[in-house]
Amino acid sequence: MQLLSTRKNKLLLLLPTCLVYSVYIILPILLSAHYSFTKYSGISKPRFYGLKNYTRLLDDPYFWIALKNTAIILGISVVLLGIGAFFIALLFNQPMRGVNVCKALVFAPAIIASIIAGVIWGYVLDPVTGLVNNILRAVGLGKLALEWIGGKTLSPYSIAFVFFWQQAGYIAAIYLAGLKTIPHEMMEAAAVDGANFWQRLFRVTIPALKGTFVSVGILIITGSMKIFEIVQQLTGGGPTHYSETLVTYAYDTTFARGEYGYGMAMAMATFLISIVLMGIFTLLLRDRD
Amino acid sequence: MTSRKKLGVSYVLMVLLTLVIVIPIIWLGFISMKSNSEILNDPLSLPQSLNFENYKSALRTLDLATLYKNTFFIAVCALVVEIVITFSSAVGLARLHYRNPSVSAGLQYFLLIGLAVSPFILLFPIYRINKFFGFGQHLSLILPYIATSVSFNTLLFTAYLRTVPKELDEAALMDGVSLWQLITKILVPIAKPVLATVIIFNLLYIWNEYPFASIMIENPAYYTISRGIAAFQGQYSIDYGGLSAYSVMVLLPELVFYGIFQRHVVDGMTVGAVKG
Repeated sequence: MQLLSTRKNKLLLLLPTCLVYSVYIILPILLSAHYSFTKYSGISKPRFYGLKNYTRLLDDPYFWIALKNTAIILGISVVLLGIGAFFIALLFNQPMRGVNVCKALVFAPAIIASIIAGVIWGYVLDPVTGLVNNILRAVGLGKLALEWIGGKTLSPYSIAFVFFWQQAGYIAAIYLAGLKTIPHEMMEAAAVDGANFWQRLFRVTIPALKGTFVSVGILIITGSMKIFEIVQQLTGGGPTHYSETLVTYAYDTTFARGEYGYGMAMAMATFLISIVLMGIFTLLLRDRD
Repeated sequence: MTSRKKLGVSYVLMVLLTLVIVIPIIWLGFISMKSNSEILNDPLSLPQSLNFENYKSALRTLDLATLYKNTFFIAVCALVVEIVITFSSAVGLARLHYRNPSVSAGLQYFLLIGLAVSPFILLFPIYRINKFFGFGQHLSLILPYIATSVSFNTLLFTAYLRTVPKELDEAALMDGVSLWQLITKILVPIAKPVLATVIIFNLLYIWNEYPFASIMIENPAYYTISRGIAAFQGQYSIDYGGLSAYSVMVLLPELVFYGIFQRHVVDGMTVGAVKG
């Protein structure tokens, strides 16, 4: 292989990728960091602004609301997807008639565009015309017909549920792929030893799937901190920013209000939060060894 | 609990779960057959007949054929270029010989940084970069789509190419093949499974992508299908019927694609996730 490993061949193979990547990924990260330290409205030149954008974040009540909403969504996703989808995988791992059809159907939302998922759930959750509340009213449970979207409190919970709907089959498929790698002998040995379902689960299955749990955890953290279209479509961040998440609020600040410096500071802060969360998460799991 | 009872409970849970997932999609289909006043005044009623008014109205609002053409064109261009360049760079990293191995290792880490980057940091700077170069229309989306695929593709391609024995290259070199022939005649055929995974993953991403499409494309003539949704939301009112019909027309081809390639799609997406 020495023969082909010339400098010319290396450049030929590597240069195009490195070029596109540097101009469209690395440079934008640097530009974002730069803008986040400036005051920039797009008309005049960006003006150096020090850390003022970042300190302004701390005084911005809507930033805290967006942070709280994002935390709610992340927390619910950890429970519903991290744990719930694991049990869905255990359910699907049994020999049942029709299980393959059900698996395929449950997975389907994962390939649907998020913006369409938002449209679909708008028709289900709309407090006045939506499916859920009209069924509740029809069966005499009108009291439970709440303001799922559009109000000040429930939107992040609804958004988290739609995210679950999108990802449940996908995450379950990842768990199922992991379950297939556990040797049958291990399960049988545990069963012969008289271990019940929960003992087998905690002593055999979960330890064997540690790597899968790490992947799923990272997917849930990055995924739930990027939820955008669902919020745009279901609530538009309203009323008055009450259902905003970190990314939708940063998007709105940047592109609707034209506060580019402040918007980029928000996007950078969001990015740093997700990096820190991923770091903590991987450290926590590593320490248990 | 006896195992028969347990299996019974499992069946009930499986059917309930499947219904929760599927009913919202079916509901969209029903909505698309109802008039705007039916949707608002008689929400639970089923469509009285096969009524395609909403579909006609959606097609009047948007030129769906053009949106499909735009999306298809962008997806094909981005996919062809990204596969060619990222596969080549993966060959360069995983198969060529470096006197100092930390050069190739360092370069690979550099190319993987993108895995941790959220698109929301990139939107505004990329918008500026496109403006700076004067890239508009399709190109303003194709380039970012190529760039955002680099890290993921590099991860999967290099991991796969490193599993292929090096002796294979040596043997081919004995036969006097060129670099080009080595890639096209030997490495590409071997890498077919991972190529399929990468293509499916990226195709779905581009097809469904919204944040970039919502910023970069300003002229409606160049809208992609996911960008088209906005056309149904006026400042003060929403055309619910048209929106639902449009969504069905976007959804159906995707579900057909999924129906045909279901095994590959599921495998491709899960393999990608576990390695990513």
